[in-house]
Formats: sequence, C-alpha cells, structure tokens
Amino acid sequence: MDSPHFSAGAPPAVGTHATVERAGDLQWQAVEDGDVVGRAEASRRPDGRTFVSIDTWHGAVFDLLATAVPADLPGPLQTMVDEGDHDLTDRWRRAGFTLRRREREYVVATGRPVGSRTPADVTILGPGSADVSALRELYDAVRAEVDADAGWDTMPVEVPPGAPLDPARYAVAEAAGRYVGLIRVVSRRRHARIGLVAVRTAERRRGIAGALLTDALGTLHRNGIPTVTAEVDEHNTAAAALFECVGAQRVGGTVFLEREA
Amino acid sequence: MTKAAGAIEIEGTVVDCLPNAMFRVELANGHTVLAHISGKIRKNYIKIVLLDRVLVELSPYDLNRGRILFRYRT
Repeated sequence: MDSPHFSAGAPPAVGTHATVERAGDLQWQAVEDGDVVGRAEASRRPDGRTFVSIDTWHGAVFDLLATAVPADLPGPLQTMVDEGDHDLTDRWRRAGFTLRRREREYVVATGRPVGSRTPADVTILGPGSADVSALRELYDAVRAEVDADAGWDTMPVEVPPGAPLDPARYAVAEAAGRYVGLIRVVSRRRHARIGLVAVRTAERRRGIAGALLTDALGTLHRNGIPTVTAEVDEHNTAAAALFECVGAQRVGGTVFLEREA
Repeated sequence: MTKAAGAIEIEGTVVDCLPNAMFRVELANGHTVLAHISGKIRKNYIKIVLLDRVLVELSPYDLNRGRILFRYRT
C-alpha cells in the first residue's frame, strides 16, 4: 500500500532542488522556490528522549529532511509510524532508524459477557474509590518492578515518575487490606482507552488482572461506552492473552523506531 | 518569509475511523476528505476518535486527501 502521507498526484519534480533550513530551535523546513514543501520537528521529553516527526506531501522531501535532521541533532532519535504504513517505515529505515518496539492495538467491545471471576480474597474498588496514598504506593511499586525488568524507556508514551495520579482514572484490586493491582482507564466521548494494567509480581497468575479488566469493561458498558482500546507490546504475551481472552480484536499497531547516535 | 506551498487548513469533524490510522473528516464546508495523522500528532501520542474536532491541512495535489494537524480539546 502506498503511504497515505504522500500525495500520488504530486508532480515528480517537486523536491528535487529543495533545501533544508532551520526554522527554530528544534524545527526544520524544506524550501523550494520560496515555498515550504515540508516540515520537521523534534521534541525533547523530560526523560531525555528526543522524538522527531516529518510532514510533507513528497517522498523526496521527506528523505531530504530525514537526512538533515539527524545530522543536526546529536544523540539517539525516536519516531513512531503506523505499522501499516510500510512506505513511511522504509523511508525512516533508509535514514538509519531501526525497530525498537512494536505495539499492537486492540479494540474490545465492553458489552460482551466475559467469564473472568474475581478471586475470593480480592475486592475491586472502582474508579474514584481508591485511597490516593495507597494508590501511589502501588503505582510506585509497579514502576519499580517495570524499571527492574523491561524499563519504561522502550515505551513510546512518556511515563514521568512522580506524575500526579487521578484516582478517577484508576480501579484497584485489594487483598488483605493491601492494594495489589490497578487498571487505568481514560474515557472520552463514547470511547475509552486502557493505559495500564498492572499487578504486583508476587500476586500474578491469580486472575487479578482479568478481574480488573472484566470489572472495567462492565463499568464502561454501564456508562454507555461501547468500545475500549489498548496498546500491547508485541512481546508481552501475557498482556496479549489477557486482552484476547475478553474478545479483543487486533485493529492495527504502531512501530516505534530509533536511530542510534 | 516563506509560506507553505498551497496549504489550505480547515476545521472538520471525524466521522469515520478507518484502518491504518486513516480517518474520514467532514469539513466545515460540508466536503469530506480522507485524512491521515500528521507525524507531529503521532509523535505526541495523541489519539483521534470519532466525532473529534480537528484541523486538517488539505493536500495541494488532491483536495480529497488531508493531514490532521491538530485535535481540538472538547
């Protein structure tokens, strides 16, 4: 499939004598005959990563900017592409970017009956019910566990440490007076997105994540939200199985590319 | 001062979410275009959903195609 980023009707000569100039501290533009024919932008995140993007209607101009920007920016660079956009992915690869991570996007219908039962000793506290300090303790513990394992730096979304937690977005699983798992759901219009499902390492393989997900789907359905989406790392087989067990359908994905310094 | 070649930017509403991060957007003038997400939006992990109000840059080569530059807060 041709990249949707480039117009098939663009004259082939466009971009053949374009030049790249800085348009700001982290902005570039390709100019041809006095017209801007493409733009690139970089943004530095608090976690130190630098993400770049290029927008142009011409493949040749894209290639020009994809070569010029890394030459201007020291250090590793990251970008994201829809997994179905092979042309765009190939162009980034030709500029020296390689695959860092691939995320599958799932859609789940909230009204579908699911059979995941909550373990007898576990109680699910719905959105807005969690104690903030206990939620923070659980969240920090989960963060530390991820830091010790895969780390957060492979995730395209930024997860700054110490960010404020909105209890309205979290449901938690409680066992023996202690929070052992959480799920974060953000709703917008008639759609919701699951941003995080996590269970303490020592409490895994007890069905707690399934119970949290089942409870969240039920809550969303009662609130009139028919579908929810989630992104899962392609290597995270446990997370993929969790969502597929509740009838999730894969609808696409995102490719996360990185260029070494 | 340079200008974007033939850039036409217009507000619209997402009326259909298609595969491969493509969207059908009904513009304020009633015209409907097929639009993809700009690199800038994707870079910032912004999600576009049905009925979102967006700013679309039309392709200078095909007025039925566009690029979503911005999602308005609702």
